[in-house]
Amino acid sequence: MRSAIRLLRGAARVVRQIVGAPDYERYLEHQAQHHPGCSPLTPREYYAEFVTRRFGGAGPTRCC
Amino acid sequence: MLALKMRRLPATLLWIAVAALGAAGFAVLALSRGESISAAWILCAGVASYVIAYRFYARFLALKVFALDDRRATPAERLGNDRDFVPTNKWVLYGHHFSAIAGAGPLIGPMLAAQFGFLPGTLWLIAGVVAGGAVQDFTILVLSMRRDGKSLGQMAKEEINSVAGVAAMVAILAIMIILLAVLALVVVNALRSSPWGLFIIASTIPIALLMGWWMRSVRPGHVLEASAIGMALLMAALVAGQWVSRDPTWSRWFTWSGTGLSWAIIVYGFLASVLPVWLLLAPRGYLSTFLKIGTVLVLAVAIMLVLPQTKMPAISQFVDGTGPVFAGKVFPFAFITIACGAISGFHALIASGTTPKMLMRESEARLIGYGGMLMESFVGLMAVIAAATLEPGVYFAMNVPAGTLGPTPVTAAHAIAQWGFVLHPGQMEALAKAMGEATLLSRTGGAPSLAVGMASILSGVVHGSGLALWYHFAIMFEALFILTTVDAGTRVGRFMLQELGGYLWKPFGRTSWYPSIVISSALIVAGWGYFLYQGVVDPLGGINSLWPLFGIANQLLAAVALCVGTTILIKMEKQRYAWVTLVPLVWLAAATLTAGWQKVFAADPRLGFLSHARTVVPTMPNAARLIFNDRLDAALALSFMAVVVLVIAASAREWWLVLSNRKAPVVNEAPFVESAYAIGD
Repeated sequence: MRSAIRLLRGAARVVRQIVGAPDYERYLEHQAQHHPGCSPLTPREYYAEFVTRRFGGAGPTRCC
Repeated sequence: MLALKMRRLPATLLWIAVAALGAAGFAVLALSRGESISAAWILCAGVASYVIAYRFYARFLALKVFALDDRRATPAERLGNDRDFVPTNKWVLYGHHFSAIAGAGPLIGPMLAAQFGFLPGTLWLIAGVVAGGAVQDFTILVLSMRRDGKSLGQMAKEEINSVAGVAAMVAILAIMIILLAVLALVVVNALRSSPWGLFIIASTIPIALLMGWWMRSVRPGHVLEASAIGMALLMAALVAGQWVSRDPTWSRWFTWSGTGLSWAIIVYGFLASVLPVWLLLAPRGYLSTFLKIGTVLVLAVAIMLVLPQTKMPAISQFVDGTGPVFAGKVFPFAFITIACGAISGFHALIASGTTPKMLMRESEARLIGYGGMLMESFVGLMAVIAAATLEPGVYFAMNVPAGTLGPTPVTAAHAIAQWGFVLHPGQMEALAKAMGEATLLSRTGGAPSLAVGMASILSGVVHGSGLALWYHFAIMFEALFILTTVDAGTRVGRFMLQELGGYLWKPFGRTSWYPSIVISSALIVAGWGYFLYQGVVDPLGGINSLWPLFGIANQLLAAVALCVGTTILIKMEKQRYAWVTLVPLVWLAAATLTAGWQKVFAADPRLGFLSHARTVVPTMPNAARLIFNDRLDAALALSFMAVVVLVIAASAREWWLVLSNRKAPVVNEAPFVESAYAIGD
């Protein structure tokens, strides 16, 4: 049962990366590893920042 | 020695088998004339060519031409920041890159080009991708990866000169305007007088608003959850649409004319560009990504299960340029009509955008760049198969504008009989009824006929049931991701305009300053909206003039990308491999310039913009507008051609300077840093 949940979580992580969705847990891991002194953004702040960057940026995100 | 040979034997036999399978596919395609063949042969020829090209040619490119080196750290590793520079698993990145490059283009182009028969499109999709499109994507991806993910425009400026850089930027903006106009026209033609289709697409707006609110306020960042809810609601809307189309009051509300729909799309594009992204753009983007990947997979499985038989001719008489869907001979127009799927300049923007910043190892660029484009070509082949399985009479009845077919099924049947195809009067009414539409006559733009082809393949899996549901599923799939391109593209265009405008007046360049946002969004929307509206009211159907312009613009961008690639290869002192990008460049320049020249100057008024302007009699309604539009289209085509010639000339000068030792071959690569990922490989 526990391994099934772990598998599902792993799958969700892969799907998130493919469709370019935010991954708050991965963000926390990154912060803990690289910026241990800073207090991380809340889920809400992180999401707001993420979508602005992903869809609000100047570069084209998709083709014809 | 012998042991080594023995160990290689199974692999060698496998590749011989793959080659034989491909050869069998091409042999059947080449030898059958007039008789129906199984779509399996198209798939055999295509897939065998793809895997052989990937195994041998892409490997040659990776090892010999680019000398990819896993010991060299990628930008994602060196600059990793959990934002854009993220080392990503190669299969995940493959999915990400594919969903960014593949859109409606590879589906619509092959459908339109099927007026030449299915063979020219099939061959161009396969040959074009292997030697052109995949090479372009791979090259730009590698070059951008070696330059910290620089954009195509920046590379053109740094490696060729600043004229080429500005030309690339203008080209990108121009292609964006034409692309958005033609794609919006495809949607308008698909939803015109279709209450069922319009109801689904209209309901995506409240669904997206709900998802946006959910992801921002209820469960922040839970994209997968919100997408699952959105998808369930979308399927409910798909089913409810049938009820809407049968109810007299509701169906009247959702039956819109072409002009009404084009105004609605224009307003929608403007709103999507000025509203915050989390509200509309982000949720629609996720919804359409899921739908796109899901539908492509389902369609691939369905084609392999059903293996439909072709009904269209392999080569039609319209290769001579008399085709009623769009004017022009098979050369150059098949190569302009099918851009996405064979070679698409637009991909150079993605391959020098987000993707190079996510590669974990250098060698993985082969799978993402070359392999990703092969998959798009495969999507193009699926569109060819969907087109080839239509009855020729039905194909032409759907794709030829009303100005040629006449207003009724009887006039249409008469016109089609003159081209040598059979269409029973009543056949189109029966088909429209089966698909749940009021009429399917002259539903130009490619999307409705693709939906009919897809519906018959998909319903074939479940023994022919639910045709109308499948048809509207296909329309929903096409319209949703076209509209995603429209809103994302308008926003990108807005940023580019703000950047350009910022040079003239500084405050305009501040991307978050509201007056600048509104003005630049309005200008971009007005740009594509103008062409869209003119396309909708065009008596020739709009597609006839807009689609070739789009193809020319897209191939022009590909020519710019290949110029950048060739220049850098020469500067890397790899000039003996410069043919890798030079050969597709020469072919593309020949096709694009010939097509552009014919669209402007051809004597046939169906083909040439200027000769068409001369046929307009001053007493005709809207005569002044028709003449103005023809001249505008001609000026646009000429300026596209001028940009290609300019960039090629600037590059050729650079090649000559370097090759004749007048200039030192300096490349602007990022410095070598040892990678941590290479260990253990």
